[in-house]
Amino acid sequence: MTWTSLYYRAQRFLDYTFTYFVLTFVAILCLYPLWWMFITGLKTDETAFIGLGAIPPHPHWENFYIAWTKGHFGMYFFNSVFYTVVVVFFVVLFSSLAAYAFARLEFPYRRFFYTLLIASMMIPVPGAFIALYVLIDKLGLINTRLGYILPLINAGLPFGIFLLKTFFDKLPRDLEDAARIDGCSRLGIWWHVALPLARPALAVVIIFNTLNVWNEYLLAMLILQDKAKMPLMRGLMVFRGPHSADYALLMAATTITVIPVILVYILMQRHIIKGVTEGALTGI
Amino acid sequence: MKRGFVRGVVLMCLFPLLAFFVSGCSRVSSSQTAPQDEVVTMWHWLSDKEDLLESLAEQFTKETGIKVKVDVFGPTETYKQKVIASAQTNVLPDIFGVLGDKKDFANFIKVGYVKDLTPYFEQNDGEWLHRFYPDAIKTVSFSKDNEYGIKPGIYGVPLDMVTIQFVYNKDILKQAGLDPEKPPQTMEEFLKAVKTIKEKVGVDGLVTGFGELWLVECMASNFAWNIMGEEKMIATYRGEVKYTDPDWVRVFEVFDKMRKAGVFIPGIVIKSNKEAERDFARGKTAFAFNGSWCVNVYKHMNSNLHFGTMLPPKISDANPVGVWGGAGTFFVVNGKSPRAEKAIEFLKWLTEKDQQVRFVRDANSLPAVKGCEEFLAPEVRGFLKAMNFMYHPRNFPVQEDPLVVDTFCRGIQGIIVGEKTPKDVAEEVQRVKDKQLKKRARR
Repeated sequence: MTWTSLYYRAQRFLDYTFTYFVLTFVAILCLYPLWWMFITGLKTDETAFIGLGAIPPHPHWENFYIAWTKGHFGMYFFNSVFYTVVVVFFVVLFSSLAAYAFARLEFPYRRFFYTLLIASMMIPVPGAFIALYVLIDKLGLINTRLGYILPLINAGLPFGIFLLKTFFDKLPRDLEDAARIDGCSRLGIWWHVALPLARPALAVVIIFNTLNVWNEYLLAMLILQDKAKMPLMRGLMVFRGPHSADYALLMAATTITVIPVILVYILMQRHIIKGVTEGALTGI
Repeated sequence: MKRGFVRGVVLMCLFPLLAFFVSGCSRVSSSQTAPQDEVVTMWHWLSDKEDLLESLAEQFTKETGIKVKVDVFGPTETYKQKVIASAQTNVLPDIFGVLGDKKDFANFIKVGYVKDLTPYFEQNDGEWLHRFYPDAIKTVSFSKDNEYGIKPGIYGVPLDMVTIQFVYNKDILKQAGLDPEKPPQTMEEFLKAVKTIKEKVGVDGLVTGFGELWLVECMASNFAWNIMGEEKMIATYRGEVKYTDPDWVRVFEVFDKMRKAGVFIPGIVIKSNKEAERDFARGKTAFAFNGSWCVNVYKHMNSNLHFGTMLPPKISDANPVGVWGGAGTFFVVNGKSPRAEKAIEFLKWLTEKDQQVRFVRDANSLPAVKGCEEFLAPEVRGFLKAMNFMYHPRNFPVQEDPLVVDTFCRGIQGIIVGEKTPKDVAEEVQRVKDKQLKKRARR
């Protein structure tokens, strides 16, 4: 073995060590809060802030059961799954159609409408709360599931359209021409060509909207009144009073609420990474 | 692969489409099926009392036949937004709480959303009124000369009270060789106790959430109350006395004196009250300055914590010491509600002794109604003892300008970190006060 090859081996070893050290550090930074949340869920209120991150000697697994029953999670869980599936579906449907139209169709004021749509991304939802409430009330949709779902779909559209349009803009037109020669209509091209190719971008839209809808709470509080219609985040409120909080149960309950989101992320992970590497996020 | 994806999308369509149409049909809720004129609706933000209020409502229904629906919306910021939005669309419930300052309360009264309850309180020789501690009623009343132009009267029903006091760790005082049953009473004694504790036990003196300006204002106005008394404080708010007056400078000097004596825990001016509560519960300091809700908080954080309450250390003999306090949770009756009479009946029932005991006992809060003392934890009773020293600047006929209050509190924070002198702060606050007075005069 020559000195040169030894030198390169040593250099590669150092490079890897440094890279893995940085990646491990970042991974710990990201995972520690989740770990702390889970571990705190196994403690009592008194020990919640002692021995940060350490597994308690007597784990209170029953906290998860208490959190589920006390927080009425069964009912809220179903509601959240329902809202998330409906909203994500319609956001994907409408945003992909609109994005395709903005990317490929020529119609008057196309740029104006697109800019208007993107501008709506700048308005924070809490800033529009009162106006939204007035509108929903005028439509007679206060305290209805529809009254909650519609603003959520509306909130998810600008980002979805923005992301998918960027993706559709990059799709080779030759593919569409070939489909047209084969007799495909505009809608057929969107369905058979554009949509399957946009899977990585769709995965990003799905995961972003799933997160938003799953974690949404403020709008639900504003629009809904009946407990039976509230989403999962309402269940967490039980463990938090104006001055005090039941930290152990709150963390156990939070652990329950994040599990579905983590599962969705794991399922979509492959597509998201592909989306990032193939440029689905180039417009962000 | 592509076919599979498309098939998946098609299958995914079926459930949401069905669900979407189902959701559109869910307009009529269980509560809405009952005749609306029979159900009294109450909105509150006390998420930790959700079950209790629901069970009280059920009990009331059993006893009277009047149906009450209790809805909780928390946290407080969300609740505030909901109430404001509902007021704009005229869909406020029969009973609700107004969160915010006296000005917000006045605004709700002006637009007719809050019923004047004075005649109800005065019925039967004031039987309902006499149930309450007078300071609880003050918070929900408007006096004759109030600056908002509201007709004098009582506009709310208090359910509990709050006082803000000094608390001390009995075990730490004992370890330092001090009598845990005789906490310091004067500022000199307080400073001496902190010094002894630091030397003998090695823990810091005082912790509080001075990162939250209202706590700075609270402690400073307690000192002001003791040094100059109510009249002079009101005169200052009116602009008749300057903040550069020696009495006000003395108020600022108290903080300087405490800083020099090393009373404050490091980083006190950036601490939230939640962090401060954690520090005290874990025995990091001997003293804390906190509201009466802390009893429950400390018990949750450390059930072995032995603590007592004490009045603010006395600085002057000219006036009695003062403690910030008043009604904590209070509810109002919607002035536009067709069920107002039933709503009042429910609130009257809720403030009967038995219900009041249930309301305050579990949460370890202070009752608004007299005669519940024997049911309270000893620490809560400690807070209750301060009732005779209670006042609140928000109950003054004149309120200080928010910008002046802000400068005042930030100035004190500057003194605590050693960036400003008491004289600097007094002059700075007065400059802002003059500016605001000129602005008001122009209006």
